[in-house]
Amino acid sequence: MNKPCPETEAPDAALLVAFANGDAGAAQLLAARLLPRTLAQAQRMLGDRAEAEDVAQEAMMRLWRIAGEWRQGEAQVSTWLYRVTANLCTDRLRLRKRSVPLDAVAEPLDGAPSVTARMHTEARAKALSDALAQLPPRQAEAVALRHLEGLSNPEIAAVMEIGVEAVESLTARGKRGLAAILAGRREELGIEDDD
Amino acid sequence: MTIEPDKTEMEALDALFAEVAGQRAEPSADLMARVLADAARVQAPAAAAPQARGSSGFFSPLWTALGGWAGAGGLAAVAAAGVWLGIAPPAAFETVTDVFFGSSVTLQVFSANDVLGMGI
Repeated sequence: MNKPCPETEAPDAALLVAFANGDAGAAQLLAARLLPRTLAQAQRMLGDRAEAEDVAQEAMMRLWRIAGEWRQGEAQVSTWLYRVTANLCTDRLRLRKRSVPLDAVAEPLDGAPSVTARMHTEARAKALSDALAQLPPRQAEAVALRHLEGLSNPEIAAVMEIGVEAVESLTARGKRGLAAILAGRREELGIEDDD
Repeated sequence: MTIEPDKTEMEALDALFAEVAGQRAEPSADLMARVLADAARVQAPAAAAPQARGSSGFFSPLWTALGGWAGAGGLAAVAAAGVWLGIAPPAAFETVTDVFFGSSVTLQVFSANDVLGMGI
């Protein structure tokens, strides 16, 4: 019977300290554990694979760099990584906001409903991301963490280092803003009404 | 003026959230390799740093105070010169020492018959 390897079950913070102490195996375990989650978060927020890969690599690079200063027990590695990734994504969205005018969000290629109705999931994700880019960054971050990552309000409060009430306010305003931006584009986005 | 979205719009947005939230993204082998290469680059100088500090034993602070290898090199040269001068002092050096120490003088502080200085 195979016994579980102690390293593979070690907490993220312990692996990070091992990495800082020169354990190359710790880097592989951390990357295998954290990179998929980080990439998925960036992909869902940005709706663009290439951009998401750049963000995920940068977020992991920041993790490697902070390893030597990491204090166990002060913060969860996952919470820290959510924060860094969300911040990197909102930076990208801010740049995109300058280059994507409001009325170009989710604009179909040829404007034909039959074509736009078939927009696949990736295109809808990109449209959602473009709409997120139109929101104030803190609202976009809170909405993404709540509705795309599925974090609870206290978890979001820890990631964003704000109070739970502030999270509730940001997510509520952000969601209303998104709905307004996307209003009237449901058909273009291929989102069908239930009624 | 803010236009409040209606219920249908909010439901449509919830459906879009659910769809995007369900997306998964597996890192490619190339991305994983890049991330691990970054880790190795960050780890390399950090791992080398303790070795560069040298041994951490009892003599480490003394070694540091002497200036490490550079200081020890200078000390070794000076010591070697001292040994050589002891074995084969140059003639000029002997002349100088003769001037100062060439003649010996014997001083007698106490009389041989009155070691207690009682004037006997």
